[in-house]
Amino acid sequence: MDRRTFVIGTAASTAALAAGPAFAQEAFPSRAITVINAFPPGGVNDIVTRPFASALEAVFKQPCVVETKAGAGGQVGAQVGANAKPDGYTLLSHNNGISGYEEVDKLFGRQPKTTRGDFIPLARLVADPVLLLVNDQQPYKTAKELIDDAKKRPETIVYSSGGLYGATHLPVVLFEKATGIPKMRHLPTNGGGPAITALLGNNAQVSTQTVSATLQHVKAGKLRPLASFGGTRSKSLPDVPTLKELGYDVEYYLWVGIFAPKGTPANIVSTLSGAIEKAAASDAFKAAIANAGLEPGFLNAAGFAKFWADDAKRSDEAVKLIGRVG
Amino acid sequence: MTLRADHVAGGAFVVFGILIIALSGDLPAGQLSMPGSGFLPKIVAVLTIILGLALIVRASESPTFATIAWSDGAHAALVTVIAVVATALYTKLGFLITMASMMIALLIVVERRKPLHALAYSAAVVLATYAVFVYVLKTPLPSSPFTY
Amino acid sequence: MEATLLSLAHGFSVALQPDNLWYAFLGCLVGTLVGVLPGIGPLSGISILLPVTFGLNATQAVIMLAGIYYGSQYGGSTTSILMRIPGEAASVITCIDGNAMARRGRAGAALCIAAVGSFVAGTFGLLMLTVIAPPLATIALRFGPPEYTALLVLGLIFLAYMSSTSLVRTLLMACLGLVFGMIGIDNMTGHFRYSFDLAELGDGIGIVPVAVGLFGLGEILATPSKHVTGEVISPKFREMLPTRQEWREAIWPIGRGSLLGFLIGIIPGSAHIISSFLSYALEKRISKHPEKFGKGAVAGVAGPESANNGASTGAFVPMLSLGIPTGPITAVLIGALMIHGVPAGPQLVSDHRDLFWGFVASMYVGNVMLLALNLPMVGLFVSVLRIPYAYLYPLIIMFCIVGVYEVNHSIVDVWIMLIMGLIGYALRKFSFDPAPLVLGLVIAPIFEQSLRQSLIMSNGNYFIFFDRPIALGLMLVCAILLGLSALSFVLKRKDWRDRLAKVEAGEG
Repeated sequence: MDRRTFVIGTAASTAALAAGPAFAQEAFPSRAITVINAFPPGGVNDIVTRPFASALEAVFKQPCVVETKAGAGGQVGAQVGANAKPDGYTLLSHNNGISGYEEVDKLFGRQPKTTRGDFIPLARLVADPVLLLVNDQQPYKTAKELIDDAKKRPETIVYSSGGLYGATHLPVVLFEKATGIPKMRHLPTNGGGPAITALLGNNAQVSTQTVSATLQHVKAGKLRPLASFGGTRSKSLPDVPTLKELGYDVEYYLWVGIFAPKGTPANIVSTLSGAIEKAAASDAFKAAIANAGLEPGFLNAAGFAKFWADDAKRSDEAVKLIGRVG
Repeated sequence: MTLRADHVAGGAFVVFGILIIALSGDLPAGQLSMPGSGFLPKIVAVLTIILGLALIVRASESPTFATIAWSDGAHAALVTVIAVVATALYTKLGFLITMASMMIALLIVVERRKPLHALAYSAAVVLATYAVFVYVLKTPLPSSPFTY
Repeated sequence: MEATLLSLAHGFSVALQPDNLWYAFLGCLVGTLVGVLPGIGPLSGISILLPVTFGLNATQAVIMLAGIYYGSQYGGSTTSILMRIPGEAASVITCIDGNAMARRGRAGAALCIAAVGSFVAGTFGLLMLTVIAPPLATIALRFGPPEYTALLVLGLIFLAYMSSTSLVRTLLMACLGLVFGMIGIDNMTGHFRYSFDLAELGDGIGIVPVAVGLFGLGEILATPSKHVTGEVISPKFREMLPTRQEWREAIWPIGRGSLLGFLIGIIPGSAHIISSFLSYALEKRISKHPEKFGKGAVAGVAGPESANNGASTGAFVPMLSLGIPTGPITAVLIGALMIHGVPAGPQLVSDHRDLFWGFVASMYVGNVMLLALNLPMVGLFVSVLRIPYAYLYPLIIMFCIVGVYEVNHSIVDVWIMLIMGLIGYALRKFSFDPAPLVLGLVIAPIFEQSLRQSLIMSNGNYFIFFDRPIALGLMLVCAILLGLSALSFVLKRKDWRDRLAKVEAGEG
């Protein structure tokens, strides 16, 4: 961020270039690193990416600049990230959305703009479990009551999401499938905030939103959590059962991960993932995450690659279940 | 019948409306109870066509097409071309080089100012803007490939 | 009430601490800069400077960030008035009469009125926020998609009053704007509309590139420098202040704009952009001299400028009392609070008393500071107009390109701006007024979405718009307005718009 260090970094990089390619390779990173943030300010991605960049800056002793490339539900940022020069100096911060574009594009018969193969997963920074929430004016006290009622009244109960095929739409569809209930009526809005507002105003009766985004409203008694999509109970809400405990095989998190473009040299990838691990373990980053009410859930490159493969399968399945609307 | 300004303008809107309808061929219209993604665009396109026709019908109230002055056209075209070139190069050559060159080009080629004045003014303005954006507001501007 | 005053007094004791004052000042200063420079709106300004506040405590951080937010609302009108470049979406409408005033040599007066209007609206909004925030916030929550739809229908009806050209021309411009507004991914079905496989067009066309192109660049293309050389508007200092007559014309629009803006501001969602448009249309509708609008009417600056500041203060009501973001900017502020360990929400007032009341008090202080900061700068800003036009317009073009690019770091936006510049040039040649186009662009996506959301809620039943009290009320207002127009039409009593259209057509 600081331009003075930037200038020093530039000077250092010129020196590195002058010293020859072998030395330049050893000295990675020798200049500023850009982290592309694919989502607008105010969202979880922004809240995670900015403290992450300053933590990475401290590890590398090189400036890390966050560049916001928001648009089309994160697709613009993904495209920019995929087409960046694969030299390790441009990283991408993205979330669940990155898994779904390919399948959605196929659904509409469009040439996919990016595929999952375009990215090398480096690390998962946070994984915030999603909650199944209802407005407090609704009669449902347990997940079972909601499921029973949804079975009785198909296409009647309205649920809000942050957008079609988005990270708060897919878990509802997976929930519907796991519990065998007929489809509920979908009210898409343009973002997580508006979806929660719709739920608070009782314009929608149900929504799946993250713990961090809704904890305040839950504590104030405006929203009632019926179940969690996490593998284990959330530390902030230990009384809320997981869907797995209730006997439904669904798991869903809203995660934020760091990616490098395909073709980045292996040695740079390993340098990066080591540094990212250090940055994520730093006190400053941990404090920022904890303050935001997010659950850390760090995974290193190997762990994240495995998780991502599973998660993408869930995502593809949900997109297919939704199909084309209208 | 003389060609009037509103004949041309109305005609352009009719063509535009038809174009929109043609482009939205594959967008489902849905029903009134649940409008699809093609519903409102088509309504607005039809409205555009109707209003465009209304403009043509009432065109006699407008001045004749020939009286519209285009004397500023050459200037506008030149300015546009320079702005287009600058935009094309903006992310490739970076803020400092592109914007300074664009201002110098506008001042010397279009305005025929003294090169020295143009140079000094452009350099001063561009550097001042750069300083404010980068140092005070910490906003990255596109950088040139020579300085990273 | 007494408790509120006590709390507020406590708040002032927090806000007036020297270091808090310093951060408020810093925030206001940066905010003004962010507002004056086109491109970096409050949104990117706040998120870029967020890391700078990591070292501060939560109260200081919020005071500074909020300073940037409302500071930018003050500065936003400056480039609109001087150069016809709207610094951000909220000041698009100020371009019209603000710049017309500048052309008459009244740039100083326009800037002064904008600053004072912003101050009055900001302070009024704060008073409301202090006194009746919690009950208002509950009403805000009841504003769902059907209410939104009704509000936007009202906006569409007001479109007719946006322009002084004939109704057909106004509606054509509005249609063009509506079509542009429908470009991009359709949120409800996932279809790409008219986006030619460009992901950058997925979220549609932004307001800033369109407005900067139509107003700023279009104006430059239509104004060859040889027509302007030698004619430099350089007002004397005394002439920079508004005259008594101008103040008189500004008072009521400022009052109405403050109230209207505040009310629209508390509604969660993106509707607060339309506050300045609605205020403009309202002023024109009730003005005794609607023909002056577009030619430098004082009310056309005072009303909208107050409305957009009222809206930005109103936006704090649901944010502070419910923890609901009314738009992207308050979402960033909530994020900033979270990073500092203060969750915004219903418990904010009780759990973080110092922060809440210190923050509210600092906004009172900040408003005074901004007025003190902005009025002396009027002289400085106006002197920009002393630059000979041949040197000024290359500078404006540079600001157009840089400003539009910086909003989203998207070169596609700059291309849109250039195309809109050419369209603006052509529209001028055929005597169309681009203002309704911009309003159409703003309304299209929100109107379409809330209409369809309402129908999802009601399962396709249109009765939902007459079933809910707020929606019904707004629909009744719409019906009355339409009825009045129809009545005057039936009675063949040609209203001013017809007369004006005649005059315009005659003079052509």
